[in-house]
Amino acid sequence: MSIEAGLQAFIDEARELLQQMEAILLDAETAQADAEVMNALFRTVHTIKGSAGLFALDAVVAFTHEVENVLDQVRGGTLALSDTLASVLLRCHDHLEAMIAALGRGGQMPDEAAGAALLSELHAHAALSPSQAARTAPAQTAPATADPEQHDWLLYLGLSGDLLHHGIDPAALLRYLASQIRIVQVLPLPQNWHGTGGFDPEHNYLHFALHLQGNTSREQLLDVFEFAREGSCILACPVAEASPYLQAIAAETPPDMLAAASTAWQQLGWSPQVQAAPRQEEPEASGTPVAAENGPATVKKSKPAEKSGESHFLRVEAEKLDTLINLIGELVIAGAAGNLLAKQAGSSSLLEWSQGISNLIEQIRTGALSMRMVQVGEIFNRFPRVVRDVAKELGKQIELKISGADAELDKSMVEKLGDPLMHIVRNAIDHGIEPAEVRLARGKPAQGTVQLNAYHESGSIVIEVSDDGGGLNRHRILQKAVDRGLISADAQLAEQEIYALIFEPGFSTAEQITNISGRGVGMDVVRRSIEQLRGMITIESELEVGTVFRIRLPLTLAIIDGFMVKVAESVFVVPLEAVVECVELPPEMHPDDSSNCLNLRNELLPLLRLATFFDLKPSTSDKRNVVVLQIGDRKVGLVVDVLLGEFQTVIKPLGDLFRSLKAIGGSTILGNGQVALILDVNELVQYVVMRESARYGLEKDRDPQLAALPGK
Amino acid sequence: MSKTILIVDDSSSLRTVVGLALKGAGYEVIEGCDGKDALAKLDGRKIHLVISDVNMPNMDGISFVKQMKTLPAYKFTPVIMLTTESGADKMNAGKEAGVKAWVVKPFQPQQMLQAVQKLILP
Repeated sequence: MSIEAGLQAFIDEARELLQQMEAILLDAETAQADAEVMNALFRTVHTIKGSAGLFALDAVVAFTHEVENVLDQVRGGTLALSDTLASVLLRCHDHLEAMIAALGRGGQMPDEAAGAALLSELHAHAALSPSQAARTAPAQTAPATADPEQHDWLLYLGLSGDLLHHGIDPAALLRYLASQIRIVQVLPLPQNWHGTGGFDPEHNYLHFALHLQGNTSREQLLDVFEFAREGSCILACPVAEASPYLQAIAAETPPDMLAAASTAWQQLGWSPQVQAAPRQEEPEASGTPVAAENGPATVKKSKPAEKSGESHFLRVEAEKLDTLINLIGELVIAGAAGNLLAKQAGSSSLLEWSQGISNLIEQIRTGALSMRMVQVGEIFNRFPRVVRDVAKELGKQIELKISGADAELDKSMVEKLGDPLMHIVRNAIDHGIEPAEVRLARGKPAQGTVQLNAYHESGSIVIEVSDDGGGLNRHRILQKAVDRGLISADAQLAEQEIYALIFEPGFSTAEQITNISGRGVGMDVVRRSIEQLRGMITIESELEVGTVFRIRLPLTLAIIDGFMVKVAESVFVVPLEAVVECVELPPEMHPDDSSNCLNLRNELLPLLRLATFFDLKPSTSDKRNVVVLQIGDRKVGLVVDVLLGEFQTVIKPLGDLFRSLKAIGGSTILGNGQVALILDVNELVQYVVMRESARYGLEKDRDPQLAALPGK
Repeated sequence: MSKTILIVDDSSSLRTVVGLALKGAGYEVIEGCDGKDALAKLDGRKIHLVISDVNMPNMDGISFVKQMKTLPAYKFTPVIMLTTESGADKMNAGKEAGVKAWVVKPFQPQQMLQAVQKLILP
């Protein structure tokens, strides 16, 4: 561990604290926060400041210091956390974040002037009086003079009697003093103990007088005893100035101390030029005793167990976890090979053992993958801020509702999902939600609603961004697409296909380009990033009622539960999450040129014959099966020869050469070393939809199976 | 045997850096991330000095020191409390709890080392 590692820890920690700070500030804007929350808010900045000081990050310390002062007032209740103050604090948070980010990359600190401007704004809100901002200087027990030229010093330590109770050891203090300066002589002076009974071993009975030699100042000497000063009387002066010094402090020093010091110093060889204050008998000679509470009679009530997100987590490098998951992938494959061998050997005990191993591997796999799982809330959390800022900028009133934040998905996806989601949300606010006047005219509340929702559905995670805005205008989209030459003027498109046009590169229907959306990164980038995650995005919209963007993603990218099927000699894997059921294909439908649809319990199921699709040698088997797949609301039947069953599938990505292949999502290695291709169910379903659309032509909009997503 | 110091602070970077400075000077260092954790870390072992922050989650520094002082083994263990300029009101509560030594945050590791050396030598 080095200072550099410490600095990295500081940066990580500061980021976490800043996140907390932002969350609290955003919460406080909507709900009235209680004292404990305000204290937590204060603590975030307080802790950053404290740690920043360790690394001599003066700019951070100076900035946080001011913010902390204001938050202290908020915490103390002397200042209300108003909307405007929260806004300024949020911008302070941003400035701090920029500072920390600059530290992280070792770059230039953000503009100091910007920070100063923020602070002055902050002060204007807080009306910070100088006394509150001022540093409370430690009280000095004696007037101090700095004269480092002095050589011979006299010191009197009228140490408090309860010093030992506080763990302060006079001997340690003297040893430390000796490390700072040459001690010529120490004179221990017993106090208040007359050698008879009543000796309390926990009481300090000793005062000391010392003769020192060296370059020092009174401050430096007093500083050595800073922790012992309370309740003690500590006098220090150069030998030459002892007489005027004793006179000067006579008014504020207990007379018995003055007398004791004078006497002791004389024993050390000092001769007073002027007699010190007259002696007085005083039985209590050990300074002003301080009531010391040794054991608390009542233990301060500790705070109730709080649920402020401060739970115990272990930080693990993502790389280590990736290595582990890769290894588990290999283990899954090796286990499958073992299983196969056991089957071939035909030994039931071997088979049983191999099954046991398989079970364990599956548990390990699930456990390891769950470590990579994070809550969607991690992405959702940054949206309150985005929505608030964008809404303010556009002068719209927007309420953000978040639900399903505890649904989990793979960490690597969370990272890649942030930007597309951000874009959709910005679009929803900018283009979706109408201006307040329009909303009122349409009989909607002036305040628009944007909702983020996440839920699990048949092995995938669905993330929805919905708004109650104007909805997508199909005519305008069509018009635009024709103008841009994306489609021909007489093209007939289904509702879904029209909506899909907005994902085409270079498409934007916003009448005026604002700086919120419509700045380069188009919806085409959104779709591409979602597809890179093996996901799909669909739109559901009703004019003047609202729009829902629905993103469907696989839960993980590494290992999936697969369903293995055989077509001719080839083995394919279908993600199990997409499989609804398997049925046998009636013999009359076996010929490839027969109907492309199956009547499944009075529901029309379009079929895809994999052998034909991949142009495989026709199978000789007299039995065919249909695997019913469901993606969203659409069902498609895959015609295959043999059903091989469930199989833990480690996804091996296809090389660049095969990147453009349709309908193949990856490959996996089977226990016997054979390679199986993983089908891209989304693409297959899309293909079938296109094929059926082409066949039914204009009637497709009326076909319940192929029409756009039906209403909820 | 070197002397043991317990650092209690909710900032792990502060603990790390102070810990580095103290270890460099020849002290043993153990860490607690809040008052509750620190009480658990005491565990009857010999602690020569405690450095504790005041404002911490779960249990604040003053409650921690008060509780610690009820344990006979730690009745006389010296405590350095970390404070801030804005925490002056806390100092009185700390004094009642038996704290004499205060170090104002932010500080440099070297400052903390000096404060420690005034109370115990390695």
